[in-house]
Amino acid sequence: MKLAPIDYFILALYFAFVLGIGWRLRKKISTSGDFLLAGHAVPVWITALAFIAANLGAQELVGMSASGAKYGIMTAHFYWIGAIPAILFMGIFMMPFYYGSKARSVPEYLKMRYDEKTRAFNALTFAVMTIFSSGISMYALGLLLHLVLGWNFSTAVLCSAGIVLLYTFLGGLTSAIYNEVLQFLLIVAGFTPLAILSISKAGGWSGIAERLRAITLPTGQSGDVMTHAWKYMGNASQNPMGVELFGMVAGLGFVLSFGYWCTNFLVVQRAMAAPNMSAARRTPLIGAFPKMFIPFIVILPGIAALALAHMNLGYDLPTKNGGFDYDQVLTTLMAKFYPAGMLGVGLTGLMASFMSGMAGNVTAFNTVWTYDIYQSYIRPGAPDRHYLKVGRATTVVGVALSIGAAYAAQHYNNIMDLLQLVFGFVNAPLFATFLLGMFWKRATGHAAFSGLITGTVVASLTWGLTIAEGKGGVFGVVHEFPSVMAQNFWIAILAWSACFAVTVVVSLMTRPRPEKELEGLVYGLTKIPADPGAKWYQRPAPLAVAVAIIVILLDIWFA
Amino acid sequence: MLDLRVPSGFFFTLLGLILLGMGVFAPDTRAALTEANVNLYSGAAMLVFGLFLLLMAYRATRSHS
Repeated sequence: MKLAPIDYFILALYFAFVLGIGWRLRKKISTSGDFLLAGHAVPVWITALAFIAANLGAQELVGMSASGAKYGIMTAHFYWIGAIPAILFMGIFMMPFYYGSKARSVPEYLKMRYDEKTRAFNALTFAVMTIFSSGISMYALGLLLHLVLGWNFSTAVLCSAGIVLLYTFLGGLTSAIYNEVLQFLLIVAGFTPLAILSISKAGGWSGIAERLRAITLPTGQSGDVMTHAWKYMGNASQNPMGVELFGMVAGLGFVLSFGYWCTNFLVVQRAMAAPNMSAARRTPLIGAFPKMFIPFIVILPGIAALALAHMNLGYDLPTKNGGFDYDQVLTTLMAKFYPAGMLGVGLTGLMASFMSGMAGNVTAFNTVWTYDIYQSYIRPGAPDRHYLKVGRATTVVGVALSIGAAYAAQHYNNIMDLLQLVFGFVNAPLFATFLLGMFWKRATGHAAFSGLITGTVVASLTWGLTIAEGKGGVFGVVHEFPSVMAQNFWIAILAWSACFAVTVVVSLMTRPRPEKELEGLVYGLTKIPADPGAKWYQRPAPLAVAVAIIVILLDIWFA
Repeated sequence: MLDLRVPSGFFFTLLGLILLGMGVFAPDTRAALTEANVNLYSGAAMLVFGLFLLLMAYRATRSHS
């Protein structure tokens, strides 16, 4: 792919705008709360789009179109099953406790609800995790730009990280959130034409279905396996993902998805930046509307690419080392469908997605480091001015550490794989801790901590004792899964169940906390303020019902 | 507080004008796999979206004052 001067101009224009927004917002920062929490003053349509954009990193765009080409429309389960229900639950049931507790972060909520050690465990693992995930996505972007455009890895990584650093340093969380909205709009503008062009070229949905039939039939699978999301879910051996219904719904749809959307501070932080409880609850619910349509611009082009590759048009699926390199599907499509000009917009959209993901990580890391680690354990009781300074310095350190992680990923690929695995172990049980904490006033701090540790151990043991596609099984093989994805889902299910069971049992053996201390933190002891000023369509329940109806229709349409 | 619709509106208006200009003055700039004048259509859509954001922002300032 070769870029014309006009494409570089569009990229530069975008850089100018994100930096300009950061510059304009710099004067709003006078306390650490302004910098790290956006001063609870961001309009709800902005927090809602940022809520979705912070999760819509470059890895997600590239990975979802790759999965589209690999697994077909089943990939949409990552949205319709693996995101929407959890987002609705978060807005309706969990946000009242997060926002009502006045906690500044998710780990801080854990401290208020449980105890210091549970907070420390969560804060430390979260801080390490955000650094590595932003480093890994930076590495992925650098590699992609190197492969596709021949750009130098270091230049690409340092430039994009430098711009994120500048605008988050200037305007803190507000600047990150405002830019995430611009980035989200740009992603939609940059990729919608690609979806339209590639799908119509492949003959529309029915044309694609017909061509894919000719591709999948010879492999021994059913002809329509790539164009049905539900039809082949009954049996893991019949669908390309190798996952069965229970593993999908319980593993992805319940444990992993609720664990991410309801407890990950990266997304929760966006909702917490809203000006009041009502807006905080609406943030995820409004965000769910665009979220459920993202498959149309990221997954469908991937599916279309597979069809196009078999039409003798001069488009081939990208390859690397003799196998298909699905991660390049999105960029190779862009090269074939976008002329100079629009190509610049598409590439800028990709850059924008990377930046929104990275800024999400950096701002969440900032807050957790400054409030939950530095202010709690290193230097408590300093004047607020000091924490503002620490917050700013942490931005620089966080970006520097991410860059370090990106280079580490470049050199030690295996270690990074292992790290991501370990993070999965830590994340899987987390939702049990929150669920019990918010809805069962009897749950205690010792119980939460021992539940989390047990869950993490169970996750590692499950991985060590089972094997899938040659992965895992280091302690011996008790069971073999049809795919790594099925293995991951089952690791999550078992870790969650273990954490849930241990938390319940230990809670019943330890002394409960007095109810007075739990007001505002637990269901039944928290007044959820009615919102008399809100119109009916601004209330959480009607919004959630609308989202649920549309998602069910989408599922039926692609069943 | 900065009204985000203003910078976003300007950004998409500019982007739309650039692409529209490309579509009109360099209509032969085509991609390998499509006959469509991609710049023209996407540019027009972005321009409309940008102007819409600016209009919304303008209406908001008027109703405030």
